[in-house]
Amino acid sequence: MWRGGLFSREKISTGETVAILREKRYNTGMANPSKFLRNFCIIAHIDHGKSTIADRIMELTGQVSKRDMEEQLLDSMDIERERGITIKLTPVRMYYTALDGQEYEFNLIDTPGHVDFTYEVSRSLAACEGAILIVDATQGVEAQTLANVYLALENNLEIVPVVNKIDLASARIDETKQEIEDVIGLDASEAPCVSAKEGTNIRDILEAVVKFVPPPQGDTDAPLKALIFDSYYDNYKGVILFVRIKDGSVKVGDTITTFLSEHDYEVTEVGAFAPALQPKEALLAGEVGYIAASIKSIEDVEVGDTVTNALRPAKEPLPGYKHVRPVVFCGIYPLDGSKFLDLKEAILKLKLNDAALTFEPDNSVALGFGFRCGFLGLLHMEIVQERIEREFNLDIITTAPSVSYLVHKTNGDTMSVDNPSHLPPVSEIDYMEEPIVKAEIFTPPDYLGSIMELCQDKRGTFKDMTYLDTRRVKLEYSLPLNEIVYDFFDELKSRTKGYASFDYEIEGYRRSRLVKLDILLNGDPCDALSLIVHEDRAYARGRMLCENLKDAIPRQLFEVPVQAAIGGKIIARETVKAVRKDVLAKCYGGDITRKKKLLEKQKEGKKRMRKVGTVEVPSEVFMQILKTNKD
Amino acid sequence: MPGIYIHIPFCKHKCTYCDFVSFPNRLNFAEAYMACLYKEVEMRARELEKVVFDTVYIGGGTPSVIDPKYIYGLMKKIVTCFHLTKDPEVTIEMNPGTVDAEKIAIYKRAGINRFSVGLQTAVDSQLEELGRIHTKADFVATCRLLKGENFSADVMLGLKGQTKADVEETISLVDENGATHVSMYALTPEDGTPIYTDYLNGELPDGDEVASLYDYGRALLKERGYLRYEVSNFCKPGFGSRHNMNYWKRGEYIGLGVAASSFFFGKRMTNTFDLDEYMKCILSGHFPVITSEEVEEGDAKFEFVMLALRTVFGISSKAYEKAFKSDWKKDFARAYEATRQYFDEEGDTTRIKDEYLYVQNQILTEFLA
Repeated sequence: MWRGGLFSREKISTGETVAILREKRYNTGMANPSKFLRNFCIIAHIDHGKSTIADRIMELTGQVSKRDMEEQLLDSMDIERERGITIKLTPVRMYYTALDGQEYEFNLIDTPGHVDFTYEVSRSLAACEGAILIVDATQGVEAQTLANVYLALENNLEIVPVVNKIDLASARIDETKQEIEDVIGLDASEAPCVSAKEGTNIRDILEAVVKFVPPPQGDTDAPLKALIFDSYYDNYKGVILFVRIKDGSVKVGDTITTFLSEHDYEVTEVGAFAPALQPKEALLAGEVGYIAASIKSIEDVEVGDTVTNALRPAKEPLPGYKHVRPVVFCGIYPLDGSKFLDLKEAILKLKLNDAALTFEPDNSVALGFGFRCGFLGLLHMEIVQERIEREFNLDIITTAPSVSYLVHKTNGDTMSVDNPSHLPPVSEIDYMEEPIVKAEIFTPPDYLGSIMELCQDKRGTFKDMTYLDTRRVKLEYSLPLNEIVYDFFDELKSRTKGYASFDYEIEGYRRSRLVKLDILLNGDPCDALSLIVHEDRAYARGRMLCENLKDAIPRQLFEVPVQAAIGGKIIARETVKAVRKDVLAKCYGGDITRKKKLLEKQKEGKKRMRKVGTVEVPSEVFMQILKTNKD
Repeated sequence: MPGIYIHIPFCKHKCTYCDFVSFPNRLNFAEAYMACLYKEVEMRARELEKVVFDTVYIGGGTPSVIDPKYIYGLMKKIVTCFHLTKDPEVTIEMNPGTVDAEKIAIYKRAGINRFSVGLQTAVDSQLEELGRIHTKADFVATCRLLKGENFSADVMLGLKGQTKADVEETISLVDENGATHVSMYALTPEDGTPIYTDYLNGELPDGDEVASLYDYGRALLKERGYLRYEVSNFCKPGFGSRHNMNYWKRGEYIGLGVAASSFFFGKRMTNTFDLDEYMKCILSGHFPVITSEEVEEGDAKFEFVMLALRTVFGISSKAYEKAFKSDWKKDFARAYEATRQYFDEEGDTTRIKDEYLYVQNQILTEFLA
């Protein structure tokens, strides 16, 4: 449907230059981006309705017909739809005819809400001039809302607050607006009040975007400067770069390079997100779109890097993003040892649009060749594991999460160790330091006691407590990260019936009495189950580990002692008894085929196990074993 | 040597653990069914003219529930159509609640020389729980009729509330009443049977308890002179079941009747499970086969190992070599190395050690590719 706007869906014959294109489009003679262009993102706490609002906006702008709508369009990964969360940012271009009669081009970038994906959020923010801030009228302003608002403010974005879920009986519209003004300090008097679920007042959001979000700045005639804010690998087109053009322009046939790359590439396609890739003639300053340039080597592209024209390069790159450091580590191994190269390929491809993921080859006696990977947090870790299994169809074994310790050796050296099996011998260790986080927990006051008990139990140090209003308290604790990575979040949720929310940032390192806890199966140490724990916790954790392993390891033809040891001293023991009955009761003429199938099924189960010394261990044990055995 | 299996899919009442093909409500079809069975015998015999059979096994269902004249007619048909050895083993399964002197007399006249009596347990309350139609007393009466005959009794382990004392009572009963053979097998709760609910509710003894009952029963049987020759089969010397041994040697057999399986000329075949379809096929002159599969060499080798290791005789290298022209220890080199500590070796035979026979799946899965 042609709506008579000024924009590039008009067919332009090949050969027309960018200059003509620009003149046609802007008709101003000035090399500025269109004043009818708006680049914005949506930020919100998990479950405040971000993706639903994005869907409604796309529906309203006719970007997708209602008929073709699959709920939560932008969450295209299976994991995203299933978990109801957004992990990856997803851009989409839309056209909107505002009440002033003018048609506007919108580039909307959906962003993740979870704390682990703050990095993704900051990347999308850098591509925008404005942000819609969604606040749930029944929940009010939450911890994550604040975190993202600060990020947006750091990026100089114009913030448009929106109150959502006004259809719910428990909606507190006026209080929510007041909270936005008090807690965040934004003017909420003109904030659209909407129901994404029912599609109420969605147009108000678009009008607010037109009114409050400024059009992009930039110089179309300057040398190309485009920020890579995401990328992924396409089997046919090579690496697809998601870019925001800050200055200049790029079109098919241009030769481009990036500041960190040593190669030049010829552009084969540029275009917009509709939300599927939609080729167009060129991308101009201010626009958001993609570039394909037959980039085959996925190591060649780094998100945050700046694309420029190889023949007419810009002098300096764009600021990019601050580099994030992983805080949680685990080993990832192929279940089938021969799939190591497939695993490598998968991790490389994920790394391409998940810059926060780090990895290096690793080798375990129990698990063979694999990778030690670093993540921004536990959810990030889980998502990466799940994506490897689903998108690359690989069965993997993951070890329990660990953090990175600083080891001060007696010879004066300092090393950082995130893999317990790489810890030097005790005799060479002078002392160790562990990472500490500053944790903020928001909770209704009823659960304070229970939460404080939990934090105490996790070696936490109380810092502060603030009543935000009569119903919400903010608790601040210093907590060792290694206590959080196992089950803190699950515990917190279960103790507070899901009411508490939790956010943390790394505070620094602290000297601590840490020891390495080893697990022996049938007398053989299993390196993949080793742990670094606080001395005071070692006995309790050793006992718990042995108990969990006793239940998790299937009975075998012989008795299996499960032992926990510190430096050669056994501190706990359990026994997996030998199996007594594992036989097909009857096997006569009609049973033979059926019994063979049963054995094959049993064999399949065994394939999901790893042989550690003489003992078959189910692959999920390595990851699950640290979860406390409470229901 | 090859055997013949005949399936009689009728019974008075379905037992709570039964997942066999058997139709309690369709006894009125017996005459029509048997007519079809006779015809299937003729059809198959034409194909197997040159084969000599050593055993016949009439199973079910409850073969003893139908009029014995049909069994007589069936045997007559078999003897006429197939070539049998001079001294074939001919077995019929019987439910103690369905037998009388006349029936047994007719069976014997028909050439049946071995009887398999479904006792399961000597405890009446457990029999009732299983949905069996007979009592302990019925079993004793049946044994009296079978006095001096070669007969086997079925004993089941893993019943709700079953104790060692119950197992002892059952085994004494069986021995004192003259059984030459005992099949003592663990109840397998199959999905879809009433007893599966008990299993899901945790009301049945667990694997360890069943193993204890089995070890206890095995010791009692040994004391009473019953030798274990297969996982679930025990006999007085010289009374092993030739028909079943043939299965474990991976010998050929032809199955006749609804749901019967055959293994012949390297092919495994199964007849339809549907009674009406079975009869329709036979009447229109077609074999009622629904699956027919050539067994590939690798699978054949595994079957050989799987079946042989069920018996106390184990794998005979010579027999294997005769069948496959290769050495099983080379064909399964990795699995053999990984499990050889669980074997006893003697001459050319390799058998699972006594104490591991009841956990043999752990060993067998190693032998699967």
